[in-house]
Amino acid sequence: MRLPLAIASFVVLIVHGVVFYEQFFHRWERHQTAYFEQARSMAQNPAEKAALEARSPQIEQVIVTNFGDTRVDRCTTCHLAADDPRFANMGSPLKTHSYSAAMGDVFRNGHWERRHKFSDFGCTVCHDGQGRGLDNFHSHGEDEFWPDPLLGYVTQTTWRKDFAPHLKGEEYMEANCAQCHTQEDFAGTPTVNRGRKLFYGMNCYGCHKIDGMSEGTLGPDLTEAGKKFKVDYLWESVVEPRANLATSFMPKFNLPEADVRALVIFLKSRRGVNFAETSLDRYKAHVANVAVVIPPGTANEKAGEQLLNDRACTACHKLHDKDGGIAPDLTYEGMIRDNEWLTDHFKNPRSRIPDSIMPSFRFPVEDFDRLSTYLASLKTPPPAMPPAETYKTLCERCHGEKGDGNGKVAWYIDPSPRDFTKEGFMNSKPRARFVESIKSGVPGTSMPPWGRILGAEQIDGTLAYVLQKFTKEPGKEPKPRNVPDKNPVATSAASITHGEQLFLQRCTGCHGRKADGKGPNSLDILPHPRNLRNTAFVDTTTDRRFFESILYGVQGTAMPAWIDYGFSRNDVGDILNFIRSINVQKPRSQQYASK
Amino acid sequence: MSIQTPEKSAAPAGVWSALKELPSNVWSSVFRNPVPSTDLERASTSFTNFFLHIHPVKVNRNTLRPGYTLGLGLISLFLFFILVATGILLMFYYVPSTSQAYDRMLDLRGTVAFGIFLRNMHRWSAHGMVAMVFLHMCRVFLTGSYKKPREFNWVIGVLLLLVTLFLSFTGYLLPWDQLAFWAITVGTSIAGYAPLIGKQMQFVLLGDTTVGQEALLRFYVLHVAVLPAVLVTLVGIHFWRIRKDGGLSRPEEAPKLKAAPVVVKTRIYGLQGFVRGPFTKVGNTPEDSVFSWPNLLMAELFVFVLTVSLILVVSLMFNAPLEQPVNVMHPPNPAKAPWYFLGLQEMVSYSAFWGGIGIPGIMVALLLVVPYIDRGTQGVGRWFARERLLANTLFLTLVTLNIIFIIIGTFFRGPNWSFVSPF
Repeated sequence: MRLPLAIASFVVLIVHGVVFYEQFFHRWERHQTAYFEQARSMAQNPAEKAALEARSPQIEQVIVTNFGDTRVDRCTTCHLAADDPRFANMGSPLKTHSYSAAMGDVFRNGHWERRHKFSDFGCTVCHDGQGRGLDNFHSHGEDEFWPDPLLGYVTQTTWRKDFAPHLKGEEYMEANCAQCHTQEDFAGTPTVNRGRKLFYGMNCYGCHKIDGMSEGTLGPDLTEAGKKFKVDYLWESVVEPRANLATSFMPKFNLPEADVRALVIFLKSRRGVNFAETSLDRYKAHVANVAVVIPPGTANEKAGEQLLNDRACTACHKLHDKDGGIAPDLTYEGMIRDNEWLTDHFKNPRSRIPDSIMPSFRFPVEDFDRLSTYLASLKTPPPAMPPAETYKTLCERCHGEKGDGNGKVAWYIDPSPRDFTKEGFMNSKPRARFVESIKSGVPGTSMPPWGRILGAEQIDGTLAYVLQKFTKEPGKEPKPRNVPDKNPVATSAASITHGEQLFLQRCTGCHGRKADGKGPNSLDILPHPRNLRNTAFVDTTTDRRFFESILYGVQGTAMPAWIDYGFSRNDVGDILNFIRSINVQKPRSQQYASK
Repeated sequence: MSIQTPEKSAAPAGVWSALKELPSNVWSSVFRNPVPSTDLERASTSFTNFFLHIHPVKVNRNTLRPGYTLGLGLISLFLFFILVATGILLMFYYVPSTSQAYDRMLDLRGTVAFGIFLRNMHRWSAHGMVAMVFLHMCRVFLTGSYKKPREFNWVIGVLLLLVTLFLSFTGYLLPWDQLAFWAITVGTSIAGYAPLIGKQMQFVLLGDTTVGQEALLRFYVLHVAVLPAVLVTLVGIHFWRIRKDGGLSRPEEAPKLKAAPVVVKTRIYGLQGFVRGPFTKVGNTPEDSVFSWPNLLMAELFVFVLTVSLILVVSLMFNAPLEQPVNVMHPPNPAKAPWYFLGLQEMVSYSAFWGGIGIPGIMVALLLVVPYIDRGTQGVGRWFARERLLANTLFLTLVTLNIIFIIIGTFFRGPNWSFVSPF
């Protein structure tokens, strides 16, 4: 018992020794002692020497209250010589902070005077880092948890190795200069200025909001990007938009490195409310950059073209050689959609396609007119092509190269484009229905009426191509099912109530309690369950088709044949009355759009 | 039974001799006894010293067997002492304000002498205390020590475990970093799943609907004043009951001496006859007992030095975590509760009510009533007694399940609480 007791006591003693040593012999004391010695040897008169003799190591700090929350900057505890011009050629940390005429320092009477005095500005206002820390690791922000490491000097160990070399350089500090020097053309922050131009030039503003500068809603709000994110994260988000979120639909811009750096530094300068800028300033910047100056007297068509470019439509849509890869092709938009449709859709895209993700842009109505006019002016029909070419040009963007409904933009389109490889579905529908869908489009969805630019023969040819190429076993024409053409149950309150009850019991798992096709099971089902509040679709779908789909199911989808579950025709009639009843009133968006 | 030191009278009383005897007089006035050399003095030492009189004069040999108690209760107590000492020092620097708390942490780490070391010791002792109190409970259960007459002391012990958990939980928020903020957000929302009063309870705890300044202040007051007072009171009762319940549990031994019972039922001799309940049976235990001084005290000192040196070494090697300052808009993914609640959080991920309130509530209720349900008298004072196979198996199963859930929650849960492999 005594021996272990003695050993344990010894351990306690040793640990105390180590702790005391750590707590009383700091590196910064050694730096300070070195500074005093060095300065003594440089001292020019005995008084100065004596003053240095009298100094002993102590924690130095600058308390800065002019810039937001109080900052306590203890950097000069180690960087004691920062303001001592005699140490210009010494090594770090005992090195004079450089003087720069560009930063406003003045050479007067044989010595420099700083524009940004350390006593007023501290250090972290410009450099970031952790002012309170007293050791390298913490004060320089090498600690992975510290949000603001020294800008352009420190890369944290958790940062991506391939980005780290790009994240060094003194231009990164411009992000902090821009907290006060907010003028757009400020000469001291060329990289931030370039980044700001790119933010507008590359159409970032179309999707991203920066309070006062832009109002995009598709992407994350970047107002405080510089406060929330470290440069490593910003760089990654610009270069590889999907690295953090696999479902992100931000385009990969493939910018040159200098542009990426400018954007990252610009974003790093976005810290919400900064020290100088007022919201009015930012609004002015917004007006200056976003306002599309259309010379008076410009034809609507020309103005529309300019708007289309300036409003970054092609960040998502395809037109000519620009392709955002997110939304449908606009090449023939003016021919397949009429002016009314376009205007409604501009005002509120969901008035025509209820599940569209396109934002409702709040442009002036004249601008919508100009855009419509421009689109309508694109009147070049596709040249006569063999069916394979037609498919490639018009259909592939949504339905996919393999015809599996998985085209380039399919992910963003709801309801999803039809998968032609499901022979169960393809063989259970009469050919006439496919022809009709191609010719007149499917209302309430992104399928446009191709009949307006394709002749009957072309449609026929393309359909034959699709069936033969993608559907594995194209079958015979199916026999018509024995279902009524017209709903035999008359609409009545009792019928609708019964229909609603049945719907709530049997249908909500997939179609949802709101009948919007977003029930709990819908996520696992492809194609997703039909949105039964899609009035445009429901109104144009025949009773016969509803009866067939409900009673006999939809082959190739998750919709079962409800006749097997004991549904009578009257039950289906009640459900149909219920579905029609919830689509009678136009949604408010459409009421608005029709005004 | 205080023992007077013998008078050394003969010398003439005078200022000079008074001065000469001053050290020994002061010593004997304070300690009353010389360093003991006889059994009488040993007994007297324990008995007349305020700090030692919590011990009995003699203790059973079984009590001193390291393999029986593992010293877990003592370790918990000493960790609590360390926590009080370091905690009071930390209080000199801490400000329970959302704008200052984190800066104070940075100052503790960077500028205050021994600041980081104090914080490390406080942090690791707190984690250690939670673990040790829990293990102490396991020891008591597995040796069947909660049985009559120690039922109520077991209940006090369970309450102590809960208070310890709550103390650690309230302290978790104080650094006001991301780790603290989100752990408390998760932890208090688990409390919000309680039926009927869940939301109100959460609101009273936080003083708000979210974790903020009010919550920080409340947690601070709970942590430094209310809960320590409750804990000290309960510990006092716990220790008092150990003495009154006849010392630590030990196996029933075959009586080696057939001495006449001290108390005869039919006749009453003196006041002792009025004492009801268990008390030291002077007649038949002397062989199994040893004097507390020095045996028990050396054992305690050893546990103390061991605890302190371990905490010191750990504090020297590992720094207490301090993550980025609170950012309410940027929750970490996943946001995890403190490790001892991760078992709960893991269960909450299956069912909010059952995982967070139902099952833990039932577990605590079971722990509280177990001595009143398990009334058998067999198997007390031995580890894993064969007679208690069923009780021990049930208990160990629940403990293992909890530990497995904690391990899963700690190491196997990644973003969105999805399963990840830590390897």
